[in-house]
Amino acid sequence: MLLAKFTFPPTDELFRWKDMVFNDSPYAINKTSFLVMTSAVLIIALFVGGSRKMKLVPSGVQNLLEVTYEFVDHGITRDVIGPNAARFTPFLGSLFLYILFLNFWEIIPFIQFPPTARAAIPAYLAIQTYLIYWYLGFRHNGFKYLTGHLFPPGVPLPLYILVTPIELVQIVFVRPFSLAVRLLANMMAGHILLTALALLTAYTLTNAPIIFIGPFLLLVGVTAFELLVGFLQAYIFTLLTAVFIADSLHPEH
Amino acid sequence: MHGVLALVVASEEAEVTAKNPILPETKEIVWAVVAFVLVFSLLAWKAWPAIKKALRDREDKIRGDLERAEAVRSEAEASLEEYNQQLAEARGEAGRIIEEARVAADQVRKDLIARAEADAADVRTRAQEDIRLASDRAIADLQTRVSDLSIELAERIVQRNLDRDTQIALIESYINEVGGTRR
Repeated sequence: MLLAKFTFPPTDELFRWKDMVFNDSPYAINKTSFLVMTSAVLIIALFVGGSRKMKLVPSGVQNLLEVTYEFVDHGITRDVIGPNAARFTPFLGSLFLYILFLNFWEIIPFIQFPPTARAAIPAYLAIQTYLIYWYLGFRHNGFKYLTGHLFPPGVPLPLYILVTPIELVQIVFVRPFSLAVRLLANMMAGHILLTALALLTAYTLTNAPIIFIGPFLLLVGVTAFELLVGFLQAYIFTLLTAVFIADSLHPEH
Repeated sequence: MHGVLALVVASEEAEVTAKNPILPETKEIVWAVVAFVLVFSLLAWKAWPAIKKALRDREDKIRGDLERAEAVRSEAEASLEEYNQQLAEARGEAGRIIEEARVAADQVRKDLIARAEADAADVRTRAQEDIRLASDRAIADLQTRVSDLSIELAERIVQRNLDRDTQIALIESYINEVGGTRR
């Protein structure tokens, strides 16, 4: 058997990193936190730096900034929430960029680890979205926001026994949980897959060169695929956040 | 001793592996929050408004340019319309002037012909008058001459006793004389 001696490292080694600074404190910095902060610095440098001198005829970075803004403003905010929802674009745009940059670390050479594969980040972002849509729901609709959801109109009375608990579980638990797990699971799976293929490629190169090309081509293909996944997951998370915000503003739709 | 150390290391490893890698860690949440708050606040403060303004400025510029172009175009069309109208008026005017000139020339021609005809008639009349006067004068001259000759003839008849032969000779000579003077 060609792969008889191939061993896969324990999952911990793929996801848990040693503290680098402020060891063992609640604000200790490990690889995850370092990448998160690096992403923040890169985003701020690119967007705040790039938007300092905006020209009438765009060039270079300005094109990127404008495309990003229009993608979020037209493709997410206005499409999902409504034409007068431009005030949400700064939040949704920042959210999209934040997740996108964190996801892309997965395929950056020598880094190759998406911080979004650590539960802390998707969990935090999902809770943040959760708090925002509850706040907006109650601010715009008062208590009707909750009753409207729990007792949707047009449902035969006896069915409320079934519908109301489902709706309750849905808006209290399922929404944030699915939001966080979707991002986490996708990035974790991608990271494990890429690690496995990379190790397999390295192993076959020395121990079984006959089948080396197989894992290698798969590794290249999956890396390209993860680029797509990274973008798609950032988009889906932002889009669903916009959907929940729209639902809080106009629960009747 | 080695056994105890090994046990401690083993227990530490066990503790590390016991933590579920799927559960969130507080220290990572802390930095995730810090990073997001930084990104959101700085972008919302500096980047998004600047990008939005740039896009709106361009939109306004393009709209303004289009509106101005439209205004200039309609102005040009109005000018063209005006020029065409002026051109048509000028053509009409030129036609009118040519027509007037033609009428005037016609009139001049008719006047000239009439005057020429009148002159010709005048000349003819005068010539006829001259002929008539000459003729009258000739007749008067002839009458004078005839009367003179008659008187002369009568004188000659009276001066001679005339026989018949003499009378005939006389008349013939007279006639010859008259014929000679006539020639």
